[in-house]
Amino acid sequence: MMQGMLGAFREIDAAVAAIEDLKERKVGAITVFTPAPRHEFEHALKPPRSPVRRYTLIGALSGAVFGYWIAIWASESWPLVVGGKAVSTWVPYTIFSFELMVLIGGLSTVAGFFIHARIPRVTMTVGYDPRFSAGHYGVWVQCAPEKLRDAEAILRRYGAEEVRGAE
Amino acid sequence: MATLAPPSPHDAPHRPNIAAAGQPLPAIRDYEQVDREILATLRPTKGWFALLLVAVACLGLGIAAWMYQIQQGLGVAGYNPPVMWGVYIITFVFWIGIGHAGTLISAILFLFRAGFRTTIYRCAEAMTVFAVMTAGLFPILHLGRPWKFFWLVPYPNWRFIWPQFKSPLVWDVFAISTYLTISATFLFIGLIPDIATLRDRERNPVKKRILSALSFGWRNSEREWRHFARAYLFLAAFSTPLVLSVHSVVSFDFAMSLVPGWHTTIFAPYFVAGAIFSGMGMVFTIIIPIRKFFRLEHYVTLNVMDAGAKLTLFTSLVVGCAYLVEFFIAWYGAVPVEQDYFWNRLFGQWWWAAWIMLTCNMILPLSLFSQRLRRNPAWLWILSLFINLGMWFERFVIIVPGLSHEYEPWQWSGYIPTWVDYSILLGSFGWFFMWFLLFIKNLPVVAITEVKEIVPPKVRAGHRHGGGH
Amino acid sequence: MSADQAGIGPPRVGTPEGQSPGRAEGTVQRREFLKVLGVTGAATTLVGCYSESIEKLIPYVVSPDNTVPGVSNYYATTCRECPAGCGLLVETRDGRAIKAEGNPDHPVNRGALCARGQAGVQGLYNPDRYRGPMLREGGTLVPTTWDRAIQTLSTKLAEARNSGAAAGAVFINQHEQGSFPAFLDQWLASQGLPPHLSYDAEAPLGAIAANRAQYGVAWPKLDFQAAKLVVSFAADYLDGWGLTVPQQLAFAEARARLEGAPRVVYIGARRSLTGLNSDAWIPARPGTVKSVADALLGAITGRATGVTLAQAADQAGVSAAALESLAAELRSARPSLLIAGGASERAADMALTVAELNRVLGNVGVTVKPFEGFLAYEGVASQAAVRAAAEQMAAGRVALAFVRGANPAHTTPAPVKFAEAFQKVPFKVSFSSYPDETSSLCDLVLPDHHGLESWGDAEPVRGTLGLQQPVMDPVFNTRATADVLIAVAKANAATAFRYPADYRAWIASRIGGNAALAAALPTGLMRGAALAAWAPRPVAAKSGGGLAASAGEYFLYAYHSPALGDGRGANKPWLQELPDPVTKIAWQTVIELHPETAKKLGIAEGDHATIETGQGSLTAPVYLYIGLRPDTIALATGRGHTAYGRYAEGCGANVMALLPVAEDARSGAQALVSTKATIRKAVGRSLLVTTEGSGRQHGRGIARALTAEQLAQGETHDEHETFRGQAKTEFLPGLRSPVANDAQGDLGDPTSKDKGQYDPAHWSGAAKRRWAMTIDLARCTGCSACVTACYAENNIPTVGASWQGPQFLPDRTGLGSNITRGREMAWMRLERYFEIDREPKDVEFDPDFETRLIPMLCQHCGNAPCEPVCPVYATYHSPDGLNVQVYNRCVGTRYCSNNCPYKVRYFNWFGYGEPNRQQYAFPEPLHWQLNPDVTVRAKGVMEKCTFCVQRIREAQNRAKLENRELQPDEFTTACAQACPSRAIVFGDAADEKWSVTRRIEDARAYHVFEELNTYTAVVYLKKVNHPPRAAAAKA
Repeated sequence: MMQGMLGAFREIDAAVAAIEDLKERKVGAITVFTPAPRHEFEHALKPPRSPVRRYTLIGALSGAVFGYWIAIWASESWPLVVGGKAVSTWVPYTIFSFELMVLIGGLSTVAGFFIHARIPRVTMTVGYDPRFSAGHYGVWVQCAPEKLRDAEAILRRYGAEEVRGAE
Repeated sequence: MATLAPPSPHDAPHRPNIAAAGQPLPAIRDYEQVDREILATLRPTKGWFALLLVAVACLGLGIAAWMYQIQQGLGVAGYNPPVMWGVYIITFVFWIGIGHAGTLISAILFLFRAGFRTTIYRCAEAMTVFAVMTAGLFPILHLGRPWKFFWLVPYPNWRFIWPQFKSPLVWDVFAISTYLTISATFLFIGLIPDIATLRDRERNPVKKRILSALSFGWRNSEREWRHFARAYLFLAAFSTPLVLSVHSVVSFDFAMSLVPGWHTTIFAPYFVAGAIFSGMGMVFTIIIPIRKFFRLEHYVTLNVMDAGAKLTLFTSLVVGCAYLVEFFIAWYGAVPVEQDYFWNRLFGQWWWAAWIMLTCNMILPLSLFSQRLRRNPAWLWILSLFINLGMWFERFVIIVPGLSHEYEPWQWSGYIPTWVDYSILLGSFGWFFMWFLLFIKNLPVVAITEVKEIVPPKVRAGHRHGGGH
Repeated sequence: MSADQAGIGPPRVGTPEGQSPGRAEGTVQRREFLKVLGVTGAATTLVGCYSESIEKLIPYVVSPDNTVPGVSNYYATTCRECPAGCGLLVETRDGRAIKAEGNPDHPVNRGALCARGQAGVQGLYNPDRYRGPMLREGGTLVPTTWDRAIQTLSTKLAEARNSGAAAGAVFINQHEQGSFPAFLDQWLASQGLPPHLSYDAEAPLGAIAANRAQYGVAWPKLDFQAAKLVVSFAADYLDGWGLTVPQQLAFAEARARLEGAPRVVYIGARRSLTGLNSDAWIPARPGTVKSVADALLGAITGRATGVTLAQAADQAGVSAAALESLAAELRSARPSLLIAGGASERAADMALTVAELNRVLGNVGVTVKPFEGFLAYEGVASQAAVRAAAEQMAAGRVALAFVRGANPAHTTPAPVKFAEAFQKVPFKVSFSSYPDETSSLCDLVLPDHHGLESWGDAEPVRGTLGLQQPVMDPVFNTRATADVLIAVAKANAATAFRYPADYRAWIASRIGGNAALAAALPTGLMRGAALAAWAPRPVAAKSGGGLAASAGEYFLYAYHSPALGDGRGANKPWLQELPDPVTKIAWQTVIELHPETAKKLGIAEGDHATIETGQGSLTAPVYLYIGLRPDTIALATGRGHTAYGRYAEGCGANVMALLPVAEDARSGAQALVSTKATIRKAVGRSLLVTTEGSGRQHGRGIARALTAEQLAQGETHDEHETFRGQAKTEFLPGLRSPVANDAQGDLGDPTSKDKGQYDPAHWSGAAKRRWAMTIDLARCTGCSACVTACYAENNIPTVGASWQGPQFLPDRTGLGSNITRGREMAWMRLERYFEIDREPKDVEFDPDFETRLIPMLCQHCGNAPCEPVCPVYATYHSPDGLNVQVYNRCVGTRYCSNNCPYKVRYFNWFGYGEPNRQQYAFPEPLHWQLNPDVTVRAKGVMEKCTFCVQRIREAQNRAKLENRELQPDEFTTACAQACPSRAIVFGDAADEKWSVTRRIEDARAYHVFEELNTYTAVVYLKKVNHPPRAAAAKA
C-alpha cells in the first residue's frame, strides 16, 4: 500500500527545487497544488501534452456535418417552394453548419477537459489543503512507506513551511 | 453608498496607476491580498439591496405589461403597419450587441494576450451572458402568438413539420442559442478555480457544500490546470468567430429582406462593429461604478480604462465610417427608393432619431482622442451612457424609418410606441440588472486566479519581504 | 354572361320557406339558430357552440327542399338598398343568407353590385334591428305582440276615420319602385287616407323634373359608349347620383374603347369621384353651373341666352379659354353626352338648358335614350312635399302619421324641424326596421321585414319585372308591412274581400298565379309591368333666397356620401369602414378645405374647425383636398346620427344642421348647395381616420397611364414611370413561362427529379394551372365595390368602431383608433394617387391634375419575397401559383409583411373574431353572415388576399364531382364578380382558353415593381387618358 508526504511552500522557487530533487531521486508520484497556473511547475514536471484538442476537433467536425444534414434533410422531407428558391439551398445552410460546429465543438471540449482533469470529483483527496487556493504551493509525494523519510527530508531541506504525512 | 466599501486593507494610499513593465498591478503585494480584497466585495450591503429592489420592480412592470399584451393582443403595442417591427426588435438587437464586447474582451483579447483584459473580463463576460439572456426574450415576446415560439425549433414530431431553414429568423434561433450556450460555458469554466477559492475561504458549512459542488471538487492540481488551460484556449478560439457570426446573422434579418435601407451588403461588418462599440459602452457603464464602490481602483487601473477607451474610439470610427458609406452608396446606387428613404431618415420624418444616433455614436466619442478624457472615469461613464442611448437609436433608425417609408407610398406611416413598449423595454433592463447584481455579490467580479497569475510570486530570495517565518 | 360563368352554379328553383322552424322571439336564441342550421358541421365551426346547447339539437327528420348541409343555394331577388332595383343572387348556406351577388341576367346591373348592395346583408343581420313590434307605454317603447300591435293600429285607424282626421294623415315611405307603392295607395284609399309620400332624400329631383318636362320619363338611358365627348354639369354619376351601377357599367364600357373612348369633362365646384375620373375639370363656382350651361347653349346656337362665355367664365371663376375650348369641342365632337346634375336651387332649370343643348347637338335618341329609360324614379315625391307635411304636423293638422324606411328627421334640413313637428302628431306609426331618428319617435313600431326577407316586385326597365323573394326565414320577429296592411284590412269587413291571404298571393295573382311565379323565381325575372303608382302631387317650393341671400365668404358644398348615401348606410360597419373613394376617410365626417384656404386660415389637417351658417354651426376635423375650389367648403352627408344603432351613433356630424330650406322652384328639390358659410379654427385636433399614406406615387409607376394618342401610335413603354432598380425592368410577356417555371424554384428545372405536386405531370394536376388576375385601369373608377365584396366573401373584420381599440390606452382609444394606426384589414384596397409633383397637402389651387385609382391586393408573386422569410412555412407557393397563407401555422413574426413591397399583408392585432372580446367584429347576429368556407382568423396571425381560394377549390371539386375539366371562366373571385366596371378578370394564365390570358398579352399590361423580379400574378392594364386634342398634338 502506498502512503504520501505533503509539503507546503511559501516560495515558488523552493517548491520547484524540491520537485526537481524528488523527481531526480524517483521518490514517488508527485502532485503539485498551485493557486494559479505557473510555468515553472510545467518545466519541472514535464507533463505530456493535453489531449483535449482531439475532443475539440471531433466535436467540431461532427457538428458541422450535422448542421448541413438536419437542414437539408428537413427541407427535402417536405418539399415546399418558397419565393421561387431551391428546396434545399446549401449556401445559407452553411450557417447551421457553422453554428453547430461551434456548439458541439465547444461542448465536447469541455467534456474532454472534465474527463482528463478527472473532475467533477466527489471527495477532497488526501494531500489537499485550503491554503493551496490562497498563497501556498503544495507538493504531494505519493510513495512506498519506506521512502517517506526521504521525501520528508527533501521537502524540509527546500524549506517547506510545513511537512505532513498522510495515509 | 460608502457602505458598499469594505475597510481598505492598506493604511498607506495605493499608487495604482504607475505600472512597471513586468508589474501591471503594482499596488498588489501578494496572493492573500487578492483573496482578501476580492472576497471583501462579496459582502452584501444596503445599497446593493436597494438596487436589486429597483431592478426587480422594473422587471415586475415589464412582466405585467407582457401579460396584458398576451391577453389583449399585440395591438396594445405601438405598431403602426407597415411598421410591423418596433421597440421589441430594436431592443433585441440592442442587447445582442451589448453581449459582444464581453466575448471580445474575454476571448479575442485573450487570444491576443492583451494584458488589460485580465481584471475586467469577468465582469464583461457575465454582462455578455445576461445580455444574451435578455435579448433572447424579445423575439419571443414580439410574436403574435408567443406560446407557439417553439415552432421555430426543429424538434422531432411525427408530422415531419420542420421550420423553414431559409428564413433568417431560424438562423437567429441557432446563432443565439449557440452563442448563449458557449458564452455561458466559457464564463463558468473560467469561474471554476475561483469558486474553489471561495469554497476554501467559506466558513458557513451549507455554503461550503454548495460551492464545493459548483467547483466540481477543483483542487488546483497542476494536472487540472494543464487541461484547464487547453480547454480555455479552445473555447476562446471558438468564441472568437462566434462573436463575428452572431451579429452578422442578426444583421441578415435585415440585409436579407428587400426593404430600402435594410437591403445592404455592409450590414454584417457594420453590425459587428456597432455591437462591440455598444458593448464597450455598457462595460464602462458597469465597470466604473463597480471599480469605485468596490474599491478596485488598483485592479481596474486607469491604464485599463485608457486601453478600453481606445478600443471604444476605434469601433466608433468604424461605425461612423459605416454610416457614411451607407449614405454614399444610397447616392451612388441611384435607386430612387433608397435615396428617398435616406433623405427621409436624415432630413425628413425621422431626422431627430438620426441625429441622436450620429451625435452619440460618431461625434461624442471623438473626445476620446484626448488622453486626459480617456483617463477620466467620470467622463467615460457619462460618455458610455450616451453610447448606450445612441446605439439603441441606431437600431431604431435602421428598423423604423425603413419600414415606414417603403416602396408603396400609399402605405407610408409613422410610429409611436405605447406605454406597453416602454414598460417591456424597462423590464428588460430590470431583468438584466437583477441577474448582474445577484452575480456581483455571489461570485468574484475580478478573476482571482488570473490576477494571481500576473502578481509576481514569492521567491526565496525575498526573505527580506518578511514572509512567513 | 350566365350564372354558371359567374361562378355561382345554377340557381335552384324554389323559396326557402319552412327551411327553418325557428322563429326567434325578441332575441336570437342559439337553439333556434341551430335548428335553422340543422345538424351541420358548420354549426360548430361558425358560432362558438357550447355544450349545453348541443343537447338541445333537433335534427331534421325530413330535410326541407334543396337544403344540403354545407352546399350553397342561390335565390334570385331584387336589391332594395336604393331605388335602382338591381337583380340579386343571394347565396344562402344552411338557411342563412351569407352573400349578395349581382344577377348576371338582370338588365340593370348585369351581375355587378355596388358596395351598398353588398352591405344589404349587414342590414339584414344588423344587431340593432327591431326584434319585434314595440308599443309606446309611459313614454318608452316596450315590446308587444303582433296581435296587440295590429289591434292598436286598427283601432287608431277607425278612430281617425270616425273623427274625420283620416284625410289629414301622412304616410312617408322610403321611395321604392315596383307595385308596393300602388298597393299602399290602394290600401290607404280603402282606409280613407291620402296617398303616401314616396320620399328619397338622394333622388336627383332637378334632373328628374327636367327629364319629365323634356322627355316625359323620369330617367332616360345615358349611353356613354355612343358619345365622343361626355360633359357632366356637376352630375356625379359615379358617386351614387342616379342609378350608380348601370351608369358605371356604361361608363366603363365606354372607357374600355380606349382610343375610341369619349373624353370626359366635369364642371363643378368639387372634383367628386366622377370628376376624378374625368379628363378635365372646370371648377365652376357653386351656383353658377347654370350660367355656364346657358353660355354654352348661346355659344353653340348663337341664340342670346343672356350670358356670354366670357361673362359665364367670370361668374364661375374659371378661365374663359376653358369654356371656349369646351364649346369648340362640343361643336366638333358629335355625338356627345351632356349630363345635368347639381343640387343648387336652379338644378331643374339648368337641367332643362342641358337637355336643350343635348337636343341641338343631336344627342337625344343617340346618347340620351328616353325610351330605354329606367323606371327607378317614377312616383318619387319632392322634398318640398315632405317639408310641407312637416308644416302640417307642426300646425297640428295631422292626427296620424306613418313612416316606413325613410328617415326624414335625419335627412331634412334643420329649419324644417321635422322631429319637433313629428312629435306633435298624436299617434305615430313606424314600419321601419331600425331604431332611427324618426321611428324612435313613434308610438307604435311594426318592424318590416328586411328586403331579403320579403316578397315584392320591381320594374327597373319597362316591360321587365324583377321579382323579390325571401331568401331565408326572418331573423327576428318582424312582419312584412304589406302583410300587416292586409291583416288590418281583413280585420275590417268593408275591406277584407279586396285582399288575398298575404302579399305573396297578391303578387302571384298579379303576374298570373303561383305557377308563373314559381317559373319566374329561379332567374327572378319575367316579362310584365309593375302596378303604376300615383303621380306625386306637386307642392309649392319654398326658399329663403338661398346662396344669393346668405352671408359668409365661403360656399358650403354639401354632397351625398357615395357609401352612406343620405345616412341609411351608416349602421352597416362595412360601409362605415369603407374609405370614401375620394377623401379616403372612414368613420368620420370631415370638413374639406383646399390646402390654400387652410393655409390662409392657419388650419392644419386634423385641426378642428367650426362652420357657421344662418341656420347653425358644426365642428369637425379638417381634411385638405386639392379637388375643391379655394372659396368652397365641402361636407358629406350620412353621418352624425343620434339614433340608428351602435355603428351609426356617435360618429361624424350631420351637415343638414347647416342648410336652410331652399327648394328648387321647379322640382321642389332641397338644394344641398344653398348657402354661404364662415369657418374658423376651433380648439382641438384629431387624427383623421384615413387609409391614405402619401397621396402621390413619387414616380414609382404603381398606377400607370398613357394617352390615347400614345396607345394609337403603339408607344406603350414609358420609361419615366418605371423607376430604375437593380433588376432588369422590361415587361415579362404573360405569366405562363417565366412565373410558372420560376415559382417552382429548382423543381421548375426540367432535369430535376421528384418535383412532387409541383410537377405538371403529378396526378393532382395542380401545377398545370397558374391562377392570375388582370385589372384594367382604363375601366376602374375607384368605386370600391370590390373592397366591400372582399369583406363579405372573406370574413374580414371591421376594426374602426370606437370600442375596437386597446382596453385602456389613454392616447389612442376612440373612433377609428385602429385605422389611425394603419391597422385596417382590407385585403383589397383602393389607392388614390394625385399626379402632382408636391405633397397634396401644400399646393396652390390648380384644377389641372390627374388622378390614378388602382386596386391593390396580394400580387401572388412567383418569387414572393414574403415566403422565404417565414420561419415556419406559414406562407409558401402552391403548385397552382397561389401565395398561400396558413393561418394555423402562423406564429406572427410579421416578417412577411416587412418584406412585402406591396404591403398587402394584414395582421390580427386583436381578437376581432373572438365573441367574448370588446374588439369582436361580428356581434350577434352579424356573425350569421360569415362565410362558412373561410376561417375567421385568430388573434396574432397574418392574413391576406387568397385569390378566393375557397372559390377555386369549390369549382375544382364541382368539376371533379361532375367528372369534367374546369371550363374557362367558369368561376371568378368576389372582387371580379362585384366590379361594376368589369375591370377585374381572374383565371388560369396557363391556359389560353381563359380570357385572363388574352388580357395579360395586352399591350397596356404591366407588373407593379417589375424591377424587383417578383413576377406578380396580378397584371395591371394601363389607364388611358384623353387630353384635349390640341394638348395631345403638343405631347
